[in-house]
Amino acid sequence: MRAPSPTPLLEARAITVRFGGLEAVGGLDMAIGRNAIHGLIGPNGAGKTTVLNVLTGFIRPSEGELVFDGEAIGGLGVNRFARRGLARTFQNIRLFGAMTVLESVLVGAHQRFSANALSLVFGRRAAREAERAMIVRAYELLDFVGLGAEVADRVATTLSYGHQRRVEIARALISAPKLLLLDEPLAGMNAVEKSEIADLVRQVRAQGIAVLLIEHDMQIVRRLCDHLTVLDYGRRLADGPPDEVLADPAVQAAYLGRAR
Amino acid sequence: MDYFGQLLANGLVLGAIYALTAVAFTLVYGVVRLVNFAFGELFMLGAFLTASLMLPEVRLIGVAVPMPGFSLPVAAAGAIALTALLGVLVDRIAYRPLRNAPRLAPLITSIAVSVVLQSLAQTIWGAEELRFPEFHLATLPPVVLFDSIYLSVMDLVVMATALAAMLGLSAFIARSSLGRAMRASAEDQMAATLVGIPVNRVVAAAFAIGSGFAALAGLLYAQTYGFAHSGMGFLPGLKALTAAVLGGIGSIPGAALGGLILGLVEALGAGYLPNGTAWKDAISFVLLVGLLYLRPQGLLGKPELNSAGRGSLLGGASDFGAVWLRAAFATFDGWLARAAAGGPRAALALLAFALLLGALVPSDYWLRILTMVVVYGMLASGLNVIVGFAGLLDLGFVAFWAVGSYLTSILFVLLLKDQFGVAPADIWWLLYLNLPLAGLVAAGFAVILGTPTLRLRGDYLAIMTLGFGEIVRVVAINWMDLTNGPMGIRGIPAPNLFGIALGSPRAQFFFALALAVLVVFAIARLVRSYVGRAWVAIREDEEAAEAMGVPTARYKLYAYAASGFVGGFVGVFYAHSQQYISPLNFSLFENILLLMLVVLGGLGTFVGPFVGALIWIVFLQLALDLPFVQAYPETRFALLGVVLVVLMVFRPQGLAASARVALTMSGARSKEAA
Repeated sequence: MRAPSPTPLLEARAITVRFGGLEAVGGLDMAIGRNAIHGLIGPNGAGKTTVLNVLTGFIRPSEGELVFDGEAIGGLGVNRFARRGLARTFQNIRLFGAMTVLESVLVGAHQRFSANALSLVFGRRAAREAERAMIVRAYELLDFVGLGAEVADRVATTLSYGHQRRVEIARALISAPKLLLLDEPLAGMNAVEKSEIADLVRQVRAQGIAVLLIEHDMQIVRRLCDHLTVLDYGRRLADGPPDEVLADPAVQAAYLGRAR
Repeated sequence: MDYFGQLLANGLVLGAIYALTAVAFTLVYGVVRLVNFAFGELFMLGAFLTASLMLPEVRLIGVAVPMPGFSLPVAAAGAIALTALLGVLVDRIAYRPLRNAPRLAPLITSIAVSVVLQSLAQTIWGAEELRFPEFHLATLPPVVLFDSIYLSVMDLVVMATALAAMLGLSAFIARSSLGRAMRASAEDQMAATLVGIPVNRVVAAAFAIGSGFAALAGLLYAQTYGFAHSGMGFLPGLKALTAAVLGGIGSIPGAALGGLILGLVEALGAGYLPNGTAWKDAISFVLLVGLLYLRPQGLLGKPELNSAGRGSLLGGASDFGAVWLRAAFATFDGWLARAAAGGPRAALALLAFALLLGALVPSDYWLRILTMVVVYGMLASGLNVIVGFAGLLDLGFVAFWAVGSYLTSILFVLLLKDQFGVAPADIWWLLYLNLPLAGLVAAGFAVILGTPTLRLRGDYLAIMTLGFGEIVRVVAINWMDLTNGPMGIRGIPAPNLFGIALGSPRAQFFFALALAVLVVFAIARLVRSYVGRAWVAIREDEEAAEAMGVPTARYKLYAYAASGFVGGFVGVFYAHSQQYISPLNFSLFENILLLMLVVLGGLGTFVGPFVGALIWIVFLQLALDLPFVQAYPETRFALLGVVLVVLMVFRPQGLAASARVALTMSGARSKEAA
């Protein structure tokens, strides 16, 4: 296992999220290392997706700050988070209905296009080249996530559940992110598919992209992640290497519901 | 004081009428989330039915029919019951099949129903005003308050009736079991169904009560102003909708409050602002737009109603229809999809066909009709950018068209010819300059109008843009110095190129066709790039689009701008082709018509707008050959409305929906696909 590098890629400091009177996340500190596969785990309702929504700008925390790659990013619009290099998938797959797989993936490349309206209308060469380059990249990524070129022209929402997840990952990767945030990417998959996706996550990391992963399957988490943060009732229960964290009696109590 | 008092009294009467109609909108919206535009027409029917029942004899479809000659209260009760029944019938036929359809389908249907009812009323009672019979209470001397405010007895009756109706309804909803069921259905229809509430019956009850309220408001209005007319429901209907939104749609106290505020503001504004009577319609809409900007949920409404509907505004294939019908559509779709996959070749074939048509059609009459098809197709294409691709319902598009038409007309006629004596023929080239210029001005205008709407979604967005459209129209009517007001602008020169007149119907057709090629080409290039993908992504899932790095607010404005550009661009040609424009050309009805054309043809396709325009305009002409339609021309609109309702039920996605638009640049993926 790699040691986390000294300056983290993403640092969340004292994040608190309140919905009305309810505190969903309380004073959370969390650091995601460069080139880490970081697991975010915890029982149902612990606030994992809320944290992921904070880290991608969907929810503005009531308190606390976010530092990504050395810069404060709290308060930016959601699309700015994406433009800085944070790409995500959704717990309930959110592909664009009525779009083909290729088109869906290309939406993820939005920030990498820059042609203005006139050069698009007049079909200037630079605009055409950019489009062609991104289409090539989209096909590469479809291959990378384990989908063949033949699905490219199918309407994305007609694919099987497992394939839709892969399209979502390709759509996130085409933006060339620094951090990929996956919200339960293994949910509803069988053992074979799970290990395939786990391999995919390792390959993503091998390309120098850090991964944050919300997951319930402890076997996979133990094997895949090199750092874990455990949430319970919106608070950080434990943080550290998987073996250490999963052996923590407090963590076991939270999962198994033993008296604390 | 006495002037103020009088205005106050007028405002209260008007406010009471608006409030009653607003209750109709709000009640139905609360239960089924439907803006039922047809309430304006039920309002009108309430007035006609009451008047008819009060008279000894009425001419219906030109035939004198003896009537019972009831007194006002009896006639009113009868009219309210009949209208309520009609409301239930409309729900059963036109809205219930669409209960689970995406939002735009029932909205379009409600507009279609309103067109049907209005043209039927015009057919039955005629185009003239029907004098509302006098009720004996109206002959009593007015009540004088504080020595200065004169209130007629009927004014007091109006206010008292409205108050009693509202209180009665509130008590009914709070106490009765049907009222409880209504509240439950409003909160969560699925849950209400699961606990055994007969939701369909509850919705029918909401329509019955709402229609009854609209009828009551209509008959009080007709009684106050002394006439009934087939078009009388349109503006009060819009105002009442405004009032309902103002108060917070879904809230009954909100509707009452909104109606009252609107009535008072209008009456006081008309009395105190310079030239206030002319501007009073604009006042309400300015109020609406301002309020929606600052507080989208209205004064007493709930914010969650301003929620995003995801996906296409119309949705996919219908579950209704016989097997053979669905099979026929499937064959047609396969054929269309293959043609659309042909891309540029299919487009060139269509263009060649259009050119051939232009060269061979012998009659000037049909050439003019075909030119209108192309013009309306272009305008609908512009609207399609924002509605079809970006998924934002826009009922104010017609304003951009007006900007283009007025810009070129003012420059050519009011400024250069009238002020400087420049002959239009000497500056023929200005037309070609005006095309892009008007496009840019209208695009800028669209961005200005679009900015405050960015936070709004769904029905709220539609209502706000509708408000903008109406404001522009009222300005065009009343800003006499700039626009010549209701007289319009005459003598706009026909198109001309290097001194060669292009005024003949055939030349105009080819001119329009050339512009259409430009418009469709430009739109296609934008849509088939990252810009179009961003638009469709916003339509399908705004949050996910944002998470993919799409600055959604900016791309919505781009969509407005592109749509506005097309509106302004085509507007220039429209003015020169018609050679006369007036504010009547740019009414809300035109906007609704354009929307219907896009829906008819297929939202989010390139051919859809033209298919819609072709069907509509050719339909209008062919319908003129039917003997019945010749006798009663307004029934054409009723027929169109019926066609649309049928289409929404059986083919909500539009006729040419399967001519799917690819969202990648053509030619950019020739090798990679292998």
